[in-house]
Amino acid sequence: MDYPKLDKIRGTTTPLQLDVVESFARGRLSRREFIQRGAIVGLSMASISAVIAACSSSTPGASGAAPTTGASSGASAAPPVAGGTIRVAAQRPSGPLDPILMQDLGSYGTTAMVFEFLCTSDPSQPLVALAPGLATKWTPNDTGNVWTFDLRQGVKWQDGTDFSSADVVATMERLVTSGNSGLKGVLAAGGAVATDANTVTFNLVTANGNFPYLVSVFNAQTLITPVAFTTGTTLDQKPNGTGAWKLTKYNQASGATFARNDAWWGTSTPLDTVEWIYFDATGPMVTAYQGGQVDVIIQFDILSGKSLLDDPNFNSVALQAALHRQIWMRTDKGQFVDKRVRQALALTFDRPALIQTLFQGKADLGNDHVIAPVYPYFDPSVPQRAQNIDMAKQLLSDAGATGLSATLHCGQILEIPDLATLLKSQAEQAGINLTVAVESLDTFYGAQWCPAAPADPPCSGSAELGIVDYGHRATPDVYLNSALSTKGVWNASQYSSAAYDAAFKEFQTSVGVDAQKTACGKIETILNDDVPIGVPYFYNFLSGSSKQFTGFYSSGLGQAFFATASKVA
Amino acid sequence: MGRYIGRRLLLSLVTLWLLATIVFIIANVLPNDIGRTILGPFAPQESVDALNEKLGTNRPILVQYVDSMFGIVTLDFGDSYITSQPVLPQLVDAIGRSSKLAGLALLITIPLAIVAGLFAARRRDRPADRAIVLLGVTSSSIPEFVTGTILVVVVGVHFHLLPVLATPPPGADVPTQIRYLLMPATAMAIVYFGYIARMTRAGTIDVLQSDYARTATMKGLTTSQMMRHHVLRNALIPTVAVIAVQIGYLFGGIIAVEKIFNYNGMGQTMLFAAQRKDIPMLTAGAIVIGIVYMLATLGADLIIAWMNPRIRLDAER
Repeated sequence: MDYPKLDKIRGTTTPLQLDVVESFARGRLSRREFIQRGAIVGLSMASISAVIAACSSSTPGASGAAPTTGASSGASAAPPVAGGTIRVAAQRPSGPLDPILMQDLGSYGTTAMVFEFLCTSDPSQPLVALAPGLATKWTPNDTGNVWTFDLRQGVKWQDGTDFSSADVVATMERLVTSGNSGLKGVLAAGGAVATDANTVTFNLVTANGNFPYLVSVFNAQTLITPVAFTTGTTLDQKPNGTGAWKLTKYNQASGATFARNDAWWGTSTPLDTVEWIYFDATGPMVTAYQGGQVDVIIQFDILSGKSLLDDPNFNSVALQAALHRQIWMRTDKGQFVDKRVRQALALTFDRPALIQTLFQGKADLGNDHVIAPVYPYFDPSVPQRAQNIDMAKQLLSDAGATGLSATLHCGQILEIPDLATLLKSQAEQAGINLTVAVESLDTFYGAQWCPAAPADPPCSGSAELGIVDYGHRATPDVYLNSALSTKGVWNASQYSSAAYDAAFKEFQTSVGVDAQKTACGKIETILNDDVPIGVPYFYNFLSGSSKQFTGFYSSGLGQAFFATASKVA
Repeated sequence: MGRYIGRRLLLSLVTLWLLATIVFIIANVLPNDIGRTILGPFAPQESVDALNEKLGTNRPILVQYVDSMFGIVTLDFGDSYITSQPVLPQLVDAIGRSSKLAGLALLITIPLAIVAGLFAARRRDRPADRAIVLLGVTSSSIPEFVTGTILVVVVGVHFHLLPVLATPPPGADVPTQIRYLLMPATAMAIVYFGYIARMTRAGTIDVLQSDYARTATMKGLTTSQMMRHHVLRNALIPTVAVIAVQIGYLFGGIIAVEKIFNYNGMGQTMLFAAQRKDIPMLTAGAIVIGIVYMLATLGADLIIAWMNPRIRLDAER
């Protein structure tokens, strides 16, 4: 440990940053976690590197948990070549490319080619870590309810006008007005203030240690748009961003073409053009790659893309993620009101077998809560629930629910129908008779998961039991708030627990690493015991590219980054 | 002939109106929140309400219907609910792409199928006839998505002979475009080959058995003279009618083929619009396909009237 060097850095940090530095120095954070948390609290990369260097001789776990197969594609050691086009297989946008109102991965990815975020995704850990985007630095006050963002200077919109803090403030106002789910309850109208042309101060409704995530690539609608932009305007109508690429052609039914933005503030992008080809399913993407017509697949599932994992010419990337399924059980009425019944069903899950069968082992065990192992504040001390049929039978008997019969609703998407079938067979061992009802996604979401009526409380018309899909989030706030807090907008289980709500509040307002870990420990324990949702696994995010290209990476939310991508010689 | 065409066009307008009305009713009869469908299940209710207000889908259904019909009459189909762009240019693009695919499929199918049908008819009950009939029945009984998938796997993925996606790069020249479209067009042609060949064969056999064909043979006409002057015109009348219907069908889009080859023709456009309740696009698409159907059948009727004067005279009465 190089104490003089460390002390020098300590002297320049805010209390919140100091807490992160101390946690790393004392071995409570791995190197990976430190980089991630350091970026959140606004430590510069130089400071992070200096701390790592100072602690490198003695930091336990300093090797970190690097992504198993590399975050960015590019296994080839061949040198990059300037010029050329990369062809990308992407999900088709399902609606207008309105940066404020878009709600699907296809739109997220397309818009993020042209517009940029205050904080972007770190290529070394693209699913969980932040890196400077249009903001170069962000610093919280001591209590974490005021955040100051220093903006990048010399940035220009593609129409030649200067980017400034007024654009950021106007964007934030639009987001707040439109009810952005990430910022709701965190930032109010007028909360973003331009201190000067290159600084924005965010005065939050309440302290939030994860605030930079809410204005980052991980809250996909927070792309910074020009001050004159209005909600409802789409990218193809006004393709005027600050990003590395200019939209030259867009057709929702076929794809989009982007040309290099030579006036971009970043390093010169080697490729000339990026061509996005839209698909509705993974299967045709894989075929298109095998037929030599696409070079990159932003995301694929293991069911359709199994062959890619064994393809020697394909550089597949498997990243630990928070992608999961929630098996919700109504806690307010019906057969699952008694928590012993919910626990019994959760005890029938053979999680390792599910992971092996559905994901070829490329997933983490779930423990019936939403704090995924990928999060730095995951508390592994909560005992892992394993299959225990005898205990399940006993709990059902105690609850007077022997011979339980229920319908398990799910949508026709990815592995979920197979998961439902497997759960049915596992539950049968405990005498639970599940009838699997697989429906179209429209029907499932609209009639079983969260019907629009009755609207108060939200989702109170949901089915008794079902499986819903959740995408990756860099922080668990959305899962914790929308799906599990009292009157949460996606609370299909109608779970309402004062203890949980308090623990969630504690997590949200925690600004230190230890405090967040403590809060997460409480959340995990409460959810694992109450079981409003069963979470059998968190599966890996899979993407990849042909080995003819290098330097591409994806955030896990549809966005893909090609600024450093190039062909290899 | 002019009166005949005029009457057919007038009937076509009534058909188009009925078509537009039916599409509108189908699109609106099921209870569904268009704003919710477009923005998805995770969108906040306020955003959904704002979108419905913007699109005007919260107006009374009758008002929306009148608006829609007025738009059709003035050829202003409005903006797509999904892309917020005018519908017509998008449809023109899609129909253009479908025309290329359908055109190439027809270019492959029609000559091959007619020649095969005539050949089989002249060699009735011989091995060549039986082989063509068997081939025709087999090819038309395999769905396009099966032949398409087999072609993709064998020709595209295994041998890398042709592209597996049908959309050519922007600005591609005609030979390149044909190369990209060849595989989906072949998948479609395989199915229609059998249908048209068998129709041609049956029509030709009928004519060859007629009294006037026998008389022509007895008069000493060579086989080719007889085929050219007496058989072809009459034998191909049902074939022309079948081809006309197939043209409408092909232009309307073979959704399975377009999906397999990720081709953005009318089929994908309409499917996309239907899934997302994009009513302006759906209505305009149905009208455009209806127009293609009517033009194709009108063209076929005119050709048939030219081929058979008796039909022309009947029509003029």
